[in-house]
Amino acid sequence: MGNRFIARRVVQALVTIVLIVLVNFLLFRAMPGSPERILARNPNVTPRAIEETRERWGLNKPLIPDQFIAYLGATARADFGFSFVARGHPVTEVIGSRLGPTLLLFGAGELIAIVVGLAIGAYAGWRRGGVVDYVGNGISLVLYSMPYFLLGMILLLVFSSTLHLLPSFGMSTPGLRYGSAFDQVKDIGLHFILPLATVSLGLIGQYSILMRSAVIDTLGEDYATTARAKGLTGGRILRHHLLPNALLPAVTLIAINLGYVVAGAITVEYVFNWPGLGRLTVEALNSRDYPVLQGIFLLLGVSVVLANLAADLVYSLLDPRVRL
Amino acid sequence: MTAPTAGLELARPRVRRGRSAGFLRQVLARRTGLIGLLILVVFAVLAIVPDLLVGPLQTAVSATGGRLQAPTAAHLLGTDEVGRDMLNLTVHGTRIAMVIGLLATVITVFLGGLIGVISGYVGGWLDTILMRISDFFLVLPTFVLALILTSMIREILGTGAREIFGIRFGLIAIVIVIGITSWSSTARIIRSQTLSLKERAFVDRARVIGAGNLHIMARHILPNVVNLIVANAVLVFAGAVLTETTLSFIGLGDPFQPSWGQILNAAETAGAAGLGAWWYFLPAGTCIVLVVLAFTMVGTAIDDVLNPRQRSRR
Repeated sequence: MGNRFIARRVVQALVTIVLIVLVNFLLFRAMPGSPERILARNPNVTPRAIEETRERWGLNKPLIPDQFIAYLGATARADFGFSFVARGHPVTEVIGSRLGPTLLLFGAGELIAIVVGLAIGAYAGWRRGGVVDYVGNGISLVLYSMPYFLLGMILLLVFSSTLHLLPSFGMSTPGLRYGSAFDQVKDIGLHFILPLATVSLGLIGQYSILMRSAVIDTLGEDYATTARAKGLTGGRILRHHLLPNALLPAVTLIAINLGYVVAGAITVEYVFNWPGLGRLTVEALNSRDYPVLQGIFLLLGVSVVLANLAADLVYSLLDPRVRL
Repeated sequence: MTAPTAGLELARPRVRRGRSAGFLRQVLARRTGLIGLLILVVFAVLAIVPDLLVGPLQTAVSATGGRLQAPTAAHLLGTDEVGRDMLNLTVHGTRIAMVIGLLATVITVFLGGLIGVISGYVGGWLDTILMRISDFFLVLPTFVLALILTSMIREILGTGAREIFGIRFGLIAIVIVIGITSWSSTARIIRSQTLSLKERAFVDRARVIGAGNLHIMARHILPNVVNLIVANAVLVFAGAVLTETTLSFIGLGDPFQPSWGQILNAAETAGAAGLGAWWYFLPAGTCIVLVVLAFTMVGTAIDDVLNPRQRSRR
């Protein structure tokens, strides 16, 4: 039974990935400015030369299946072509060089947000109507309604341009020679604080709201009443009966949320000039660097699908009742 | 649990006249619903008559102040880097943001409602395919798709000076893209409601007296999901405003028709946050947060009225 569920989810994820690849293929073929059309604009280029180019790039073959199969083969080999802008550099290299900063920023941000957000949410739900609930829920709602980049701009305004405490952009001070490895870590660390605070605060708002309602839902369950009737202490009920059950929906929702976090990533990196995938996306968009955009779309799409799959599988391990 | 609920649902009368008035009263009776709706009314007024309140939209030519001035009596919210009055820009931004949000919501809800009802009512392979597609949009980082689609649609359609509903053509691309990328959650909700509705006795009765599938969907299913569609539309609207803001912020807006997101983009480009020019982006930012918050509050109140079982949660 369990195996069938897992197999089904894996197949679903594979279908979604195939759809992503298909959309990625069709979308960018529909983009204006294919090589032959650019050539055709030049009156000195003979029709024969255009025909030869079409043949060379396989553009004279039907879109489906020939061109699509060629595309699939290239994708399977992780060959996404070359960036229009960074000439001579393959897309994988351009994207790869930006992966680290993004993973650092969002890995750390998610970690902080999950720990702090879930803790605040759990406490607010447990002591519903209390001070933490009112204040926390109010702040969470405002943070939830605020686009990440706006939060980033406000933090920048306060901590960088008004209080002059922290640097305002980039990942390190340009042109600075570091005396020691410690200096370098310190410099990057200082640049890291504001983007990290933005990401964490934005996510804490979402996660605490989510955890709060999950805890309140479990409060109404029969086993919570039973635990109370048995005379267990409040803390024990919360830790052993409510939290394990409330964490389950939270895990799934955090995974589903990943798709939205991507949008936040793009804007936060834009505000702080953080040299990650998000800023690369905006740069590629502004310079019409379609191969890079295509690569980013594929990478993000597939990662989010896989993260969702992982969350579902973990969920089914933790809660045997789940059969989607 | 199933047996008694099914009985109750069967006994529940379907659409009654005057139900919507009672519904509105119930929403307004909740503090969140009332406050949220009041905020939205204020912004609706700003969006409808911006010219009466702050005069026509200022351009670089008709700018009335100095460069990047802090707020003064003449310019209550200061000026931007070409001397335009920020109050003027922010109020005019309301109309653009709200109209784009409204149009995008209409498209989203229409697509979602249509696909949800058809998918749930017809069922079978059509349902499977439609829901697989909706899964695809639910899981995907739709924002990246929206980015690519917007610039693509714009290159294909062009960004001429043509206008639809007072919105320039380039911004219509954003409307279409939000519609395409955000219908799936609406479709999911409407589908599951349709699934339970089509098993009810009144659908069987309609079929027995010879009603066709189209008639049943339009006259019996649709009126019963309208409440859900409205409740969902409120949340879709908030999401649409946020998506428009984000898309405009990273540079897909139209400088000739500045929405709040476009103002924030200009502020970012001018380095307002780094220069300490808080008046440049805090007003538009506050408006965005207030509108999204207001929609969320109204949505919460509606949810509260529609699902009394969860009332204890708030």
